[in-house]
Amino acid sequence: MDLEKLKRHFPWITLVVLTLLVGLMDPNFLRPHNLIQLAGDISTLFIMALGITFVIYIGGIDLSAQSVANMTTVLATISLPLFGVWAGVFCIVIGLGFGAVSGFVTTRLKVPSFIATLAVGGLALSVGQYASGQRALYMDATLRDQAFGWMIGTTAGIPHELIIAIILLLLAYFVQNRTTTGRALKAIGAGELAAVASGLKVDQYKIMAFAFSGMFAAIAGLLFSVKLAGGSPTLAEGFLLPAIVAVLVGGTPLTGGVGGVLNTAIGAMIVAVVRTSMLYLEIPATSQQIFFGVVLIAAIALTIDRSKMRIVK
Amino acid sequence: MSQVMSRENLQKWAPVLVLIALILFFSIANPNFMSVRNFARIAMAATPALMISIGITFIIIMGSIDLSMEGAVAVCAVVFATLFLSLGGALDSWAWVALPATLVVGACFGLVNGLVHVKLKIPSFMASLSMGFVGIGLSLLMTGGDRIRVEDPLFRSLLTERVLNFPLMVYFAGLALLVAWFIQSRTRIGRNFYAVGGGEELAHASGLNVNRVRVLGFMIAGAFYALGALFAVARIGIAETATGYNLMFISITSVVVGGTALWGGTGGVWNSLVGVLIVNVIANGMIVIGLPRYVQDGVLGVLVILAVYLSTDRKSLAFVK
Amino acid sequence: MFELQKVDKIFPGVHALKAVDFEIKRGEIVGLVGENGAGKSTLMKVIYGAYQHDGGQVFVDGKTVRFHNPRQAMDMGVGMVFQEQSLIPNLTVMENIFLGFEKQFVNFGVIDWKKMAEAARHQLKKVKLDISPSTTTSQLSFAQRQLVELAKVLTLEERVQGDLVILLDEPTSVLAKDEIKLLFELVRDLRSRASFIFVSHRLDEVIDLSDRIYVLKDGEVVDVVNADEADVDSIQREMVGRNINKEYYREEQQKPYDDTKVLLELESVGNSGKYRDISLKLHAGEVLCLVGTEGSGREAILRTIYGLQRPESGSVSIKGQALKGFSAKCGVEKGVAYVPRERKIEGIVGGMTVFENMTLSQMGNYSRAGVLDVRHERALAREWIEKLSIKASSENADCGNLSGGNQQKVVLAKWRSGGSDIILLDHPTRGLDIGAKEDVYDMVRDMSAAGIGIILVADTLEEAIGLSHTIAVVKDGEIQKWFDCKPGCKPSLYDLIHYMI
Repeated sequence: MDLEKLKRHFPWITLVVLTLLVGLMDPNFLRPHNLIQLAGDISTLFIMALGITFVIYIGGIDLSAQSVANMTTVLATISLPLFGVWAGVFCIVIGLGFGAVSGFVTTRLKVPSFIATLAVGGLALSVGQYASGQRALYMDATLRDQAFGWMIGTTAGIPHELIIAIILLLLAYFVQNRTTTGRALKAIGAGELAAVASGLKVDQYKIMAFAFSGMFAAIAGLLFSVKLAGGSPTLAEGFLLPAIVAVLVGGTPLTGGVGGVLNTAIGAMIVAVVRTSMLYLEIPATSQQIFFGVVLIAAIALTIDRSKMRIVK
Repeated sequence: MSQVMSRENLQKWAPVLVLIALILFFSIANPNFMSVRNFARIAMAATPALMISIGITFIIIMGSIDLSMEGAVAVCAVVFATLFLSLGGALDSWAWVALPATLVVGACFGLVNGLVHVKLKIPSFMASLSMGFVGIGLSLLMTGGDRIRVEDPLFRSLLTERVLNFPLMVYFAGLALLVAWFIQSRTRIGRNFYAVGGGEELAHASGLNVNRVRVLGFMIAGAFYALGALFAVARIGIAETATGYNLMFISITSVVVGGTALWGGTGGVWNSLVGVLIVNVIANGMIVIGLPRYVQDGVLGVLVILAVYLSTDRKSLAFVK
Repeated sequence: MFELQKVDKIFPGVHALKAVDFEIKRGEIVGLVGENGAGKSTLMKVIYGAYQHDGGQVFVDGKTVRFHNPRQAMDMGVGMVFQEQSLIPNLTVMENIFLGFEKQFVNFGVIDWKKMAEAARHQLKKVKLDISPSTTTSQLSFAQRQLVELAKVLTLEERVQGDLVILLDEPTSVLAKDEIKLLFELVRDLRSRASFIFVSHRLDEVIDLSDRIYVLKDGEVVDVVNADEADVDSIQREMVGRNINKEYYREEQQKPYDDTKVLLELESVGNSGKYRDISLKLHAGEVLCLVGTEGSGREAILRTIYGLQRPESGSVSIKGQALKGFSAKCGVEKGVAYVPRERKIEGIVGGMTVFENMTLSQMGNYSRAGVLDVRHERALAREWIEKLSIKASSENADCGNLSGGNQQKVVLAKWRSGGSDIILLDHPTRGLDIGAKEDVYDMVRDMSAAGIGIILVADTLEEAIGLSHTIAVVKDGEIQKWFDCKPGCKPSLYDLIHYMI
């Protein structure tokens, strides 16, 4: 078997091996109930990573996702009494808007996405702080259950968050593989100049990728705030880097054009398994970060496909 | 050369112009801004960030990126404090050894970072991101999440002792900047950073050991992170895992705002100085003119976009990622 | 003093060099010519150490050597002046000259700039270039950079015992006429210091400069001629292995175009610094060739027509409609197609499949409400793979892994299947082997017969003359002269060059 061909399969092989390894240490880990629980817990992070995937897929980076999600938790909490279930739509549109602004700044003002999204993240943070009055807010339980009760809870033992995540994954997969937009994004990631010379409106598509990312971040924020019945401008703190890690470990490299949303699903699961394994291996809280970092290095070293990279920067 | 106002020149000096414009604006908005006291405040706040920015500048010149600084600073701060206290806790005893030792620790952290990046062929973005986690973890392990107080008056005199109204640490930071400038313009390794950033494959074809240059770059960056950690500890008197908090984004933003392009090959430590000052002047100015705390992140974001927009030569770019 | 005996180089599936004998004497200038794909670049790479030979032997001063990397070749006095600019643009001239060999100026890691500048001045004097060693390289002209590269290679003189062999790879391709003259004088002067291997596809220059000429074809040396006995035609015949005649460019298939149907019209279009006052008409079935030197404005005109550059004055109309918006998207919608010179960068997207590449410019035709009809796409790709006999394992093959000729066919299929009727070809045969070139020529004739208007910027003048109905000679951004190119009464090379320079 050709090693290069095998490389494409490394991410899921890594996932299976990791899962089995933890299973060896503690067979309880492999119980379906536990695994589903695991997947459910990672859903919010995964949805954010899903959005970021589109941006990394075109060779950019989105650092605003966490701030957008934070802002969304606040906006969702505030708008719930006003709009009811429409608060969700409201939040998603706002997220989309912030993403589009990032895209506009990157493509039209030619500010590198690293800085552009960081700055837009700052904007989102300000909006979140302003709207919340810099406090933690709480949702009215009955209102929440009326409007968004379907988001939480379980059906046949499967958490609804997981179902939402899977539906979004399928949707994103469809966009990526079956639509002109997805094809255009792939072309931009793999060869932007050729995409331009083929007459594609590259700027529009890039803005769209950032807008997707903002939208998914908003959905993640919405889900999170419904789950915790509240909002605060720091609620989703600590989501950003793990979400990016999930994308990278899944095999969508920063160079763009390779990988995709399915990879991110696997990447998110790897992150989840690594995190949970620390509980099972009884790694003390203080060492968990080191463990996470080292496993991350190992996972990335194993999974990234270097054949498309001429030089490693 | 004859055209002082040429497009190229304007772009080159845009960050400085932005800085001057900001200072003027804030001074007009509130005359209190334009005071030695306030400038000393800005300088002090900027000192740790400047060290980090100088370190990352070398990496960015090579066209790589380093996201490990928060971890590196945490490790350095905690190692320093632990060692310093265990050696007597006063600079005029053997505890001074902790200072150079911290620089070595920073360089070693950079060494590992660089080796992971080069030997495992992982892009620096991911390698350093992971090493950042490791660094945070290490510092957590050492402190168990506690804060370590460093109260030696001699060490804290970096902050408390003032010469011409500016605290001592500002002068030390200036010295470090000169050292960095020397490295950048006078040493082989410094020039090799530019060679790698300007054309890695060509540099390699010319017989340059690019991997060695990269690893050395991360080591030098690590040493500057260590300096940043020392200043940060001197400033607040506490070493903890959170000492490096938020320094990653601030420093990279500063470097880019100062005119060092993320794709490498251009810019330098003076650019980073200007960038750090821009970011800190904005932050300070907003407080001085009385903008509410919560709008500051947003305003900073908008101004950063503006600064980068003004200082990029967009005509020369095929596309931006 | 430098000799190759029966050198073989084999790549998977390709026997790139077959028992090549090659010798260069002290102070000699040896020409090396051959069509693209004849093995020139492989031979050069073996000589300067980038490739290792698989058979035969390499001798330097009678001793067998084997270079494992360019650095080792340099240590034996073999240096290469690259065709692509191999200087790092953001470094100073002196840093580039001594890149990788700074050690002599370094004490404890600190560079002695004065000493380096002094040494660099010494090198620059050798190539008679009067610039400050601390100039940033990006500020130099192409000709100056070429000389700096030469100066860089000449540093070997001080480092190496024994004689130098310097390879010049297409050194004249970016130079103007008088710069070429200067370069040649310099090389002749320098033969007291070094021997030169001069690689170029401009045969007249090779004959002018060299003492002896090696003719390479299909990885073999087919002839070694003394320059004073050589003439362009006979060498060309040997390179191609047959007469370059009308048949080669499919001249007998050239049909008169339909001059009642104007596809494209430019009226005094100008763009400051690039070209000015360009007026032309392209008719259905016409092959219009823009001829000129590098930088004469040919490419800029093509890119304007396609919509990648907005003109500052004048008007462009396509099929009678004046163009208002300028973007590639508008161009494509109006039926304009662009086959770029940088095939791998702008032509195809490596990492995407053949069918994805073919529909990239026309996804609208293969989708409904933004949803792609992949089956339809694949069918299209299969049809065109068949039609143009593209060598790909299937429509799912990665386009980046195809050979240059097949990539070019994919690009052409992309535009033809989309119904484009104005096709802009920018160096469509660059880097292709002879067979693939002939395929491209066939396709040009086919398209022309189908009533498609073509604007061509050709790789060589011969190609331009052979293929076109009409030639416009462009110089310094202006059209100098129009030539009618009916079969049988085509202009000669000389006619064109006269107006080009």
